[in-house]
Amino acid sequence: MLTAGEYSNHGRQLQPETSPAELNLPRVLSLLSSKLEKLVARNEKLVDILNHQLHGLNCGSVRLGNSLNTFHGVRAPSISIPKYLERIYKYTNCSPSCFVVGYVYIDRLTHRHPDSLVTSLNVHRLLVTSVMVASKMLDDEHYNNAVYARVGGVSNAELNKLELELLFLLDFRVMVSSRAFESYCFHLEKEMVVNGTVLKIERALAPKAMDELEAEISVEDKQSPSPPQISD
Amino acid sequence: MSGLGQLNVNESPSWGSRSVDCFEKLEQIGEGTYGQVYMAREIKTGEIVALKKIRMDNEREGFPITAIREIKILKKLHHENVIKLKEIVTSPGPEKDEQGRPDGNKYKGGIYMVFEYMDHDLTGLADRPGMRFTVPQIKCYMRQLLTGLHYCHVNQVLHRDIKGSNLLIDNEGNLKLADFGLARSFSNEHNANLTNRVITLWYRPPELLLGTTRYGPAVDMWSVGCIFAELLHGKPIFPGKDEPEQLNKIFELCGAPDEVNWPGVSKTPWYNQFKPTRPMKRRLREVFRHFDRHALELLEKMLTLDPAQRITAKDALDAEYFWTDPLPCDPKSLPKYESSHEFQTKKKRQQQRQNEENAKRLKMQHPQQHSRLPPIQQGGQQHAQIRQGPNHPIHGSQPAPAGGPSHHYGKPRGPSGGPGRYPPGGNPGGGGYNHPNRGGQGGGGGGYGSGPYPPQGRGAPYGSSGMPGGPGGGPRGGGGSGYGVGAPNYPQGGPYGGSAAGRGSNMMGGNRNQQYGWQQ
Repeated sequence: MLTAGEYSNHGRQLQPETSPAELNLPRVLSLLSSKLEKLVARNEKLVDILNHQLHGLNCGSVRLGNSLNTFHGVRAPSISIPKYLERIYKYTNCSPSCFVVGYVYIDRLTHRHPDSLVTSLNVHRLLVTSVMVASKMLDDEHYNNAVYARVGGVSNAELNKLELELLFLLDFRVMVSSRAFESYCFHLEKEMVVNGTVLKIERALAPKAMDELEAEISVEDKQSPSPPQISD
Repeated sequence: MSGLGQLNVNESPSWGSRSVDCFEKLEQIGEGTYGQVYMAREIKTGEIVALKKIRMDNEREGFPITAIREIKILKKLHHENVIKLKEIVTSPGPEKDEQGRPDGNKYKGGIYMVFEYMDHDLTGLADRPGMRFTVPQIKCYMRQLLTGLHYCHVNQVLHRDIKGSNLLIDNEGNLKLADFGLARSFSNEHNANLTNRVITLWYRPPELLLGTTRYGPAVDMWSVGCIFAELLHGKPIFPGKDEPEQLNKIFELCGAPDEVNWPGVSKTPWYNQFKPTRPMKRRLREVFRHFDRHALELLEKMLTLDPAQRITAKDALDAEYFWTDPLPCDPKSLPKYESSHEFQTKKKRQQQRQNEENAKRLKMQHPQQHSRLPPIQQGGQQHAQIRQGPNHPIHGSQPAPAGGPSHHYGKPRGPSGGPGRYPPGGNPGGGGYNHPNRGGQGGGGGGYGSGPYPPQGRGAPYGSSGMPGGPGGGPRGGGGSGYGVGAPNYPQGGPYGGSAAGRGSNMMGGNRNQQYGWQQ
């Protein structure tokens, strides 16, 4: 189970919270949070409706998201998506681009496995796993699974299992071309228009990760950079 | 959610969907830190393959980064001179699932990468007693190496570990690049900030040794130059034991870099630490004056200090060398060498060798003693020999000893190491090299550990005492915990030596000193 209260069960308390203002959080965090929160809300509504219909048919409750079963918790963790992302960012120091790429993975997952729905039961595990894998891909220096497990509030063993599950569900398509990366950034940026101005994701904040992003590879990516579909 | 229209329905079945039971393991041909390697037969087709088991026993690291990268890159590369990763298979294993879900640990039993089977690697082949490559044969291998590398570079992939043991050769004479565990994509626009701790020391270019983190395909070309020279010379040309010595050996042969021959060199991070104290002239032409003129000309361009001026794979393929008599031979015309990978047999044999080497080691301290036979220089004559046909080694009078080790992955791990390629030390790591140095010299080289390779790190977010697992346990790569398998290959201690407290580098932890990334 992944609940806020459990974080401290994995050893000593993590560093005291710093207020978000001090942290100067990269913008991608809030954009991604907002995107995912909407997605989850929409999917939950969908599940509700389906449950209702099924209930009428006396079929029990709906079992959606079979492909993502491994990621399902029993209850939704109490920590919010923005807080969770902030936590990952703060404690793993991964480059902000990892969140974009993690999002690409989640999106690819839902495309490859149309029976899967991102819901409040699986979104946390999906996030910590995909950001971790993204960091393995992008950052030449990064923390190991044990650290991510602690930060994410899951056991090391479970996170390893989730990692494998993610890799296999993605069929190891973890390459993200710079074009795909840009298009996902753009998609996320549209998420938040403040006073008519698009807030750009700080690509410059992470020159390292940007530079290490997979360049376009001419041997064609059959998995075409899917136009972002997670939208409402 | 995407509609169905978004799916590519023509995709081949997902990797990992098949079980390793589709293959019959024939014999173990390698064992190492990366995991075991088996020669196997696909039951349905009868095809012979190499199965590399991905070792998953380091819980803290999870799925090995080298394996992810290798899979990711090989999925994209399809070329006759690049090893083919055919698929990934899993074995279910009888594991329990702590949550009681039936499908919970479906991969726990093991994950295997399925490669096409190759009989030899270049180093192993070159080291066969009595082996002599002919000039057309060397040209043939070099051309294939450059062709494969050009393909990688065109596709924006840096190999970053070109060396003989990563060049696999089959009995059709085909050469393929293998072991992409260190490889990565690069982009021309963002050419920046990559780790400089890549490429086995002896094949590492001066720009990396000087601390550059912005580099490109030229790093691979330096390695190619080293291999080329090694093939012609009969032994490795820069067998340095640590970074300073490595640079020094390079400077001794290629001259010292300065702003004239390498504009910008004085701005490289470690230039001031490593710049030679005395003037050193380029002596390449003098030292290798016995080489064929065209060979020397090409080598000059490959072993150019300034990466910006170093020849590219494409241009190298156009070099006179490949277009003058004797021409590169057809791979198919090359002799077939007996491959041997009887793991057990070899183990015994190598134990014997090890004993001999131990004796030798007492007398010799440095790898320079190693020598292979230089190539046979007269091309015409060699054509004739090659045509002796399959199953004959070039020298009919000197048959390759039965079962002569040609397989790097066939070598057992540990100190029983190799067939004496580099006698002193007798392959302490089983890597075929005395100082594979993948993991850095850390504690090894005196006065070096704390120098140019500062502990990588932004510091631990938990503060020092909170680092889970203590030294080596936290951020990856620390103190030899690399992939949990320590490193029989790394006699000098783990990556970054003692700097376990910082973030280790991604690149360093594993044992990367073997073909296919598997240990020999």
